[in-house]
Amino acid sequence: MTSRRNFLIAAGGLAGGMGLTSASGRAHATPEEMQEAVRKVIGTSRVRSGRVKLDLPPLIDNGNSVSLSVAVESPMTPADHVKAIHVFTEKNPLPNVVSVYLGPRAGRANIATRVRIADTQTVTAIAEMSDGTFWSGSMSVVVTLSACLEDGLI
Amino acid sequence: MTAMPKISRRSFIVSSAAAAGGLALGLRLPFGPEVVRAQDGSPEINAWVVIRPDDTVVVRVARSEMGQGTITGLAQLVAEELECNWSKVTTEYPTPGQNVARKRVWGDFSTGGSRGIRTSHEYVRQGGAAARMMLVQAAADQWKVSASECSAANSIITHQPTGRTVSYGRVAEAAAKLTAPDPKSIKLKDPKDWKIAGKPIKRLDTVDKVTGKQVYGFDLKLPGMLNAAIKECPVFGGKVKSFDAAKVSSMKGVRRVVPVGDTAVAVVADTWWQAKTALDALPIVWDEGPNAKVSSASIAEMLKAGLDAEQAFVGNRNGDAKAALAGAAKKVEAVYSYPYQNHVCMEPMNATARYTPDKCEVWVPTQDGEASFAALLSVSGLPADKCEVYKINLGGGFGRRGAFQDYVTQAVLIAKQMPGTPVKLLWSREEDMRQGRFHPVMQCKLTGGFDASNNLTGLHMRLSGQSILASVRPAIVEKDGGRDALSFQGVFESGEHSFGYTVPNLLIDHAMRNPHVPPGFWRGVNINQNAVFIECFMDELAHAAGQDPLEFRRKIMAGHPRNLGVLNAVAERIGWGKPAPQGRFRGLAQMKAFNSFVAAAAEISVEGGNKVKVHRLVGATDCGYAVNPAQIDRQVAGSFVYGLSALFMQECTVKGGRIVEENFNTYNSMRIAQMPKVESIIMPTGGAIWGGIGEPTICVAAPAVLNALFQATGKRIRSVPLKNHGFQLV
Amino acid sequence: MASASAVVNVPANPKRGEIIEIKALVRHAMETGFRRTQLGAVIPRDIIRQFVCLYNGVEVFRAELHPAIAANPLLTFTTVASESGTIEFRWTGDKGFSVIESARITVV
Repeated sequence: MTSRRNFLIAAGGLAGGMGLTSASGRAHATPEEMQEAVRKVIGTSRVRSGRVKLDLPPLIDNGNSVSLSVAVESPMTPADHVKAIHVFTEKNPLPNVVSVYLGPRAGRANIATRVRIADTQTVTAIAEMSDGTFWSGSMSVVVTLSACLEDGLI
Repeated sequence: MTAMPKISRRSFIVSSAAAAGGLALGLRLPFGPEVVRAQDGSPEINAWVVIRPDDTVVVRVARSEMGQGTITGLAQLVAEELECNWSKVTTEYPTPGQNVARKRVWGDFSTGGSRGIRTSHEYVRQGGAAARMMLVQAAADQWKVSASECSAANSIITHQPTGRTVSYGRVAEAAAKLTAPDPKSIKLKDPKDWKIAGKPIKRLDTVDKVTGKQVYGFDLKLPGMLNAAIKECPVFGGKVKSFDAAKVSSMKGVRRVVPVGDTAVAVVADTWWQAKTALDALPIVWDEGPNAKVSSASIAEMLKAGLDAEQAFVGNRNGDAKAALAGAAKKVEAVYSYPYQNHVCMEPMNATARYTPDKCEVWVPTQDGEASFAALLSVSGLPADKCEVYKINLGGGFGRRGAFQDYVTQAVLIAKQMPGTPVKLLWSREEDMRQGRFHPVMQCKLTGGFDASNNLTGLHMRLSGQSILASVRPAIVEKDGGRDALSFQGVFESGEHSFGYTVPNLLIDHAMRNPHVPPGFWRGVNINQNAVFIECFMDELAHAAGQDPLEFRRKIMAGHPRNLGVLNAVAERIGWGKPAPQGRFRGLAQMKAFNSFVAAAAEISVEGGNKVKVHRLVGATDCGYAVNPAQIDRQVAGSFVYGLSALFMQECTVKGGRIVEENFNTYNSMRIAQMPKVESIIMPTGGAIWGGIGEPTICVAAPAVLNALFQATGKRIRSVPLKNHGFQLV
Repeated sequence: MASASAVVNVPANPKRGEIIEIKALVRHAMETGFRRTQLGAVIPRDIIRQFVCLYNGVEVFRAELHPAIAANPLLTFTTVASESGTIEFRWTGDKGFSVIESARITVV
């Protein structure tokens, strides 16, 4: 099955001058833009997979208000703690979702909020540790109606 | 009822733990993947096929059966590649929870957009083929011969050189332990060689439906179950201000009176009738909000203004329509309109839920088990592994039960207030009529221009009306600069709903005007009004040019051979060009929708100026490939019933911000005596893309009848339903 | 503690050293800047940009919000109940949006 993005590009005329891009000139974020957004936040450091548990419902009906939580394994001591957690998406209009700044006074690195999920995609959380290392966790979510429109909207 | 597979969770968990342990220690497991078993212990060859020792084949089906025959069609496709004995095939619905736990091994569950067969045929056929290859390999391993010397047919594997045979049931265990073949090595059969698929095989669900054995959502009985009736604010966007539970709490059977969100109130009682009776007696004060002033007239005004508005979203453009029309030798202009309509599923909306903090389960007729599951996750607040949805066959879906899971959300909100007790929530017919997700309201101004030789040189089709996606999936509209591309189904510039004519200067655009009434995907979605608009206007253009409607169309369809194919087929069958029987008149229409090409021709008579009899209906369908021709015939006929009932009798009007029509006395449906036998021509012409069947044909019956009506009466009808013009279907 | 626009949830009497969970909600449409009117015009962005939680004047939690945060932003986070005093919550955003809420905490 062709991904919707590939289909829209292949359809040519649809992507061409028919108002596919928003006023800002961007249709929606891409995985590349997400990588760029990640680089802006963490620089050129390496990101290791692990220690970060990102939780969202695997199936989403209404993408307007979706529960999201992040828990990072860390003793949260002055010597060893999570400094920040950054959340990114690859297919929302913008790649950044939220950045939270913690410290040893947090006691635990557990945060939760509600987010907008525009499409079936992978969401990623990156934790910045006090020792300068970066760790990530991600989760794939499916937006149920978008799935059925995936193969070409029209 | 299609059984739900109860996959032994313990065996699945044990096997995956064992696999993980084995890999972590660097051990090779001796028999490949661990076997996943159905509840009766029978092994899965793969996620799509379970084989019992007695050779019964259980085909897993992800989509939903709602009378469209899809589970039989999908089973035919799997069975074809599996080479099994069809008489021993049965089907089973995996649950959405199982799909999530197994990383969506069954893919998409959604059953809508006429997608059930066309977007899953490839992978389900591969599932059947892979299972066959594993069964053959298991037999070959047992006989210690090469699999290439073995063949499979009718659930029997034969070793060709020696004639040795073994049945699938005997090698299923061994096959289940084999590694699945590399997808690249799987070769699917050419449809020319089909023996099960492509045949008009009897459906698997008919007998239970006819004998009354079929359990629908509203038949469901669970131990300790209570029944709930609900009323949501009839003015869309309004809320509950207050209700006086005390007035009904001591009525017979009443257990609870509960708020459901901030827009609805429900009564829970021992029986549904007790719940409904109490609910009818319950004083509720609504905060109706600003939408209480909206009426059909105010909506029509809003839409009318869009017909001449400066701004509109473009869906199809060629040349310079405005200039061509300005310079035309002759112009034709007409304004059409199409109303709100309700799905009127014969089974009203319902869902049964049981909630505890450790587990929340929902039993529901749904077109998309995953959408139901998603709604359940959202409203219960529980994690996925504590939730489950059990799909029940639907008493009608038509698009009401896919994207919209409001009844699931309501049932869980009620069940959360009575933990541990299963509660069946069933809407009354009135509630179902009021709280629809309506076919969107639309007007259309069409302008055509001719040169001096009566050639069509320009066409402007301006739609003005409601966008479904702006309400239901705004993210998609946002991505497209505010445009809802779906509004152009049937007249779009490309793709599965592309326009079936070539006009040198063309503009098709949409002024979006969104009233407060919640829109939804009614069978066919936007092709219903677009087919009326364009196909009736084509006849108007032909008439203005002094040409036969078929000849006029043919001249501008040179680049649309498959559209021409179905149009010519219905024209030939109805006898176009030869005189009709005395007093009878004909009309035709064509469109491309959901990747299928469809056309209809109608032959009618009109008695006493207003009594319309439909004598003949011819439908031609080119869907690329036909999996079950008998089922296609029935879908065509059924879609014509649905479409013509709408044409003659169905309109949802708005007064005081709410829907007026609450039951079949004001929102009727045709009867069997009013419907001719449909002459259905199935003409699949192959190609790379499969077409859908559930919806496309619905759109061509109405314009064919409307065009015939003009021939019969000389009156051009530009708004529906026909009852508003005094026409009666007899 | 709640005002017309914000609701915060802080355990009133935690034990000293206990890790407590705090919930903070503020009413705000969080207009993304991607929505369009029926006529295709962009509805301008108007969101809350920053949230800060101060414990006796010391920052213990901060968040930078983007349009992907849902309307009526809810944030749940933890802090160590180190001493009695005041926990202050500050939201700031576009168009000069500014809401301050506070809660007393008495550590036992």
